[in-house]
Amino acid sequence: MFDFFVFCDIISTNVWFVVKKMDIIDKLKILADSAKYDASCSSSGSSRKNKNRGIGNGNVSGICHSWSNDGRCISLLKILFSNCCIYDCKYCINRCTNTVRRATFTPREVADLTINFYKRNYIEGLFLSSAVIKSPNYTMELLIRTISILRNEYHFNGYIHCKTIPGCSKELIDPLGKLVDRMSVNIELPSHNSLKLLAPQKEKDGILTPMTYISNGIKQNKLDKSKFKIDFVPAGQTTQLIIGATPESDLKILKLSEGLYQKLNLKRVYYSAYISINNDKNLPTLKSPPLLRENRLYQADWLLRFYGFKADELLDDSHPNFNNILDPKCDWALRHIEQFPIEINTADYLTLLRIPGIGVISAKKIIRARRSFYLDFDSLKKLGVVLKRAKYFITCKGKYFDKICKFNESFIETNLIYQERNNLKQPQFEQLSIFDSLQPTKEDKIKCLTGSL
Amino acid sequence: MSNWKLINKTYLYDGSFYGFLTIVFDSYLTKTLPQKICKKNTYLSNFLDTTIEIETNLEKAQRILNGIEKNIGSDTLYNTYYAFLSNEKNKEFNILKYLCNGFIVGPKINHNLTTSYVFKVVSMRKKTLSECHKLKGLLRFQELSNNLSYASIHPDNNILEPLGHHFIKRFASMNFVICDKNRDICFVYNTKEYKIIHSQNICIPNISEDEKKYQELWKLFFKTIFISERNNPRCQMQFMPKKYWQDLIEKP
Ligand code: SF4
Repeated sequence: MFDFFVFCDIISTNVWFVVKKMDIIDKLKILADSAKYDASCSSSGSSRKNKNRGIGNGNVSGICHSWSNDGRCISLLKILFSNCCIYDCKYCINRCTNTVRRATFTPREVADLTINFYKRNYIEGLFLSSAVIKSPNYTMELLIRTISILRNEYHFNGYIHCKTIPGCSKELIDPLGKLVDRMSVNIELPSHNSLKLLAPQKEKDGILTPMTYISNGIKQNKLDKSKFKIDFVPAGQTTQLIIGATPESDLKILKLSEGLYQKLNLKRVYYSAYISINNDKNLPTLKSPPLLRENRLYQADWLLRFYGFKADELLDDSHPNFNNILDPKCDWALRHIEQFPIEINTADYLTLLRIPGIGVISAKKIIRARRSFYLDFDSLKKLGVVLKRAKYFITCKGKYFDKICKFNESFIETNLIYQERNNLKQPQFEQLSIFDSLQPTKEDKIKCLTGSL
Repeated sequence: MSNWKLINKTYLYDGSFYGFLTIVFDSYLTKTLPQKICKKNTYLSNFLDTTIEIETNLEKAQRILNGIEKNIGSDTLYNTYYAFLSNEKNKEFNILKYLCNGFIVGPKINHNLTTSYVFKVVSMRKKTLSECHKLKGLLRFQELSNNLSYASIHPDNNILEPLGHHFIKRFASMNFVICDKNRDICFVYNTKEYKIIHSQNICIPNISEDEKKYQELWKLFFKTIFISERNNPRCQMQFMPKKYWQDLIEKP
């Protein structure tokens, strides 16, 4: 093991030397390519102002600047500082045992690229992450240097999201946290065992310790009411889990997310469908990434954050994974049919939110409108409430929707599944990763309305 | 509003927001609604119409503005402004009815979504705002040789002014011009103040030396970030409609 590490180090120092002469085009190609698998691209939650006539500001609801051919929003310049890694995480393209082209930026190069992209309105800011060069602390110092050029020399007030290197020391988190808007430590593998198996050099503690430290830092910073305080990670911290590389069930993953939201106050947990890049006996070979499963987890995640659901309600040991055809809320509703139908004119807000097809915005509209008059199905339509799913689960003034005279599980299930099958022929997954703050933003609400929750 | 008189006249105005507010003022004062409201320069005279030209009156407009804010609330003012920027036909007439009724019922007006003109005003606002938000992201500046940044856009709605304000906040110390090619108007900002002028009055120098390099780097980044296993052009198109592609550097 010891020899192996020395070997890696020699490779990476040599490569470091070679790539110094590489031009910026090659570096960008290599280091953007390596960073693209990170799902997070949100730029919301920061209201940083343009100070001292510097450049840029934050936008609380986030702005997307382009959409890539895979339909994902491009909002940040998402790059690795370097892909010369000393670690050997099995699932990662940049693990030290792979032969890939290696490159490392200089702090100045990253800062210049960011500023020039930003001035042309290509991006909302920077998302910087890195492989581990030499040591976690060495890498962290390079990241800090880069970001402090941007903030202090170029007076850049745009959005910066920086990944913390697992295993770095606490003393380095503080200065970084005061420069950036958001920090993340990626958990990647949803259990201790999987971590040991696939990322042997990363320790669970090396991940959870910085997360806890950041979380406490944010809490304390919020309590500090002094006028001159420097914000610490004002847009909060996030993490990412890889879906489908390891055997954890949806229930286990969702419980983990729930814990992260409750205990560490995370802003977002991102889910990234595993894409087979490396061959390894401990890794599954998947023909295509499990995108549907990823989508189901995002939907369930929303139910946790905005709809008052608990992980235990959505799934349990006898039913540990989500349904392929029905979204988590429909699935839940069918298994709790005794709680339906719900009368639109009397149900309270949280109950309305439990109706499949009714999102935050519809529920609010209903509450507001029914103050002035009784709602029937026609007025629901006029309000813009989509009845496609909801019609099976509600009554208006005590009446069911048109032809739905039978109210029972199998009838509804057959109908819903029939509808969904038609949908599934052309799968179309919403891009949820751009919406972010804890309170649903305007766009969130639009999403909930058009989305399938 | 039921006792208001519908008069058989077509109002012509100069197309400005203040011009429109002048119409609102006159209508409210006389408790009458015209048959149509048209812009002077696009109006095709019609044998059957009796037209009245309304002169823009800043004082009347200002009084209406204050009146809206005080009596119907700032939400309504917001709705009015953004609905007015919409390119929808008949927007003037719908907003007029919305405001006149608003003066009678107060802020409650915005809850009456089942009334057709309220619904229309609200949906016009939504459309303009969402286009404005979209272009905050999709607009591309090019750096010109005289230290000026230039962007051209082709929006459906007249969102130049709110869009310009967004960029003033963001690039307070940058000289920039945003040109709405569909309307031939430009938003010009010189780090202190801004103006909206006709495109004819502006000449655009060549792009700077760095510009080409950063355009190439951006195209490269755009291509590289794509994950082929997740290819989904439909989704891309849905978020980034084709009509905006002409002004993008990275055209998918
Ligand atoms: S630490 Fe692991 S996941 Fe990160 S770049 Fe290195 S090998 Fe990849």
